[in-house]
Amino acid sequence: MASALPTFTKIGKVIRLNRHGCTNRPFYHIVVQKTKDNQDGPVIEQVGSFDAMPNSKNEKLVALNFERIQYWLAQGAGLSDPVAQLLGLSGFLPNHPRTLIQAWKNRREPPRERKIEAIKGIAPPLDNPKL
Amino acid sequence: MFGSSGSRVLNVINISYLQSRSKRVWVRKPLGSPMAKSKIFRITPKPVIPEDEKAEIKRLFDNYKNSMKSIRQYFFEQSLKQAESGEVAQMKHRLEDQEHERLMEENRLENEKTAMVREERLKIQAENTQRNVLASLIKKEGEAKQHEIQIEDFLTKQMSTPFIQPENIEKAIEDALANPVNFNFALDLDGYVYRGKDTSIDTIPEEKRERLNSN
Repeated sequence: MASALPTFTKIGKVIRLNRHGCTNRPFYHIVVQKTKDNQDGPVIEQVGSFDAMPNSKNEKLVALNFERIQYWLAQGAGLSDPVAQLLGLSGFLPNHPRTLIQAWKNRREPPRERKIEAIKGIAPPLDNPKL
Repeated sequence: MFGSSGSRVLNVINISYLQSRSKRVWVRKPLGSPMAKSKIFRITPKPVIPEDEKAEIKRLFDNYKNSMKSIRQYFFEQSLKQAESGEVAQMKHRLEDQEHERLMEENRLENEKTAMVREERLKIQAENTQRNVLASLIKKEGEAKQHEIQIEDFLTKQMSTPFIQPENIEKAIEDALANPVNFNFALDLDGYVYRGKDTSIDTIPEEKRERLNSN
């Protein structure tokens, strides 16, 4: 269909993670930006957030504005890998292959040595020794 | 050490004079700089991935890309549909319809006005043409009459000339035979005419000589 072609032309905008937070304490904003701009440069719209550090209940909190993400995807914005993985895990998009690849690699390899103990809380104990 | 500015200018089109004071991001080693001593003889081990795993990874990515393409297309179509049916679009449609009606009305009035003007013009033209046609017809009639009169005159003139009718033919022949016409003539250098074929100059006396008229 000729009318559907615009989705595949690049509009120069991308949905990706912007690192905020402090040293050794990253906090990411999920953001729509022009591809050319720097990571800390001007932002068109913030569309969610991702906290990479697990909280007291052993959860990594992710916020996503699905309506706006759908709008930008319809306009033809790109997706970075981490954002695509998060969306896949949330159920909005199909699971990213990276998730599965990481999963079977974790199962295969022995667990990495950790300086900080994993917090045990309300969430069920981790059966993935790599995390 | 590798020349760099402490503050960076943001890569924005219309705000290029803004300065960013955040950390400098290390992108790559400058191209002219030498290789570090610890890295000269380093051979990086290439990650070996078994064939079946590679195939599995490829399969996963192909499927993912396929589904992402179709999802993006679906979102695009949804956005089009939403744009059609949304409130803003409906209001726009309504306004457009109103505008259209208004313009059509305006057009109709304008057409009527021009139609009236045209009617009058055509009426005047019709009268003019009628008058002209009448005048020309009259003129033609007059001319025809004139022509007829001329023809009649000519005919009468012709009739009056002595034609030889079948009754007069014998008389005419006898007359012609009795009076032959001789067109021969001669001219003198003094300007005198001697008519007839066999006339001799000596036979005519000086007084009875004809003078050549040039009329």
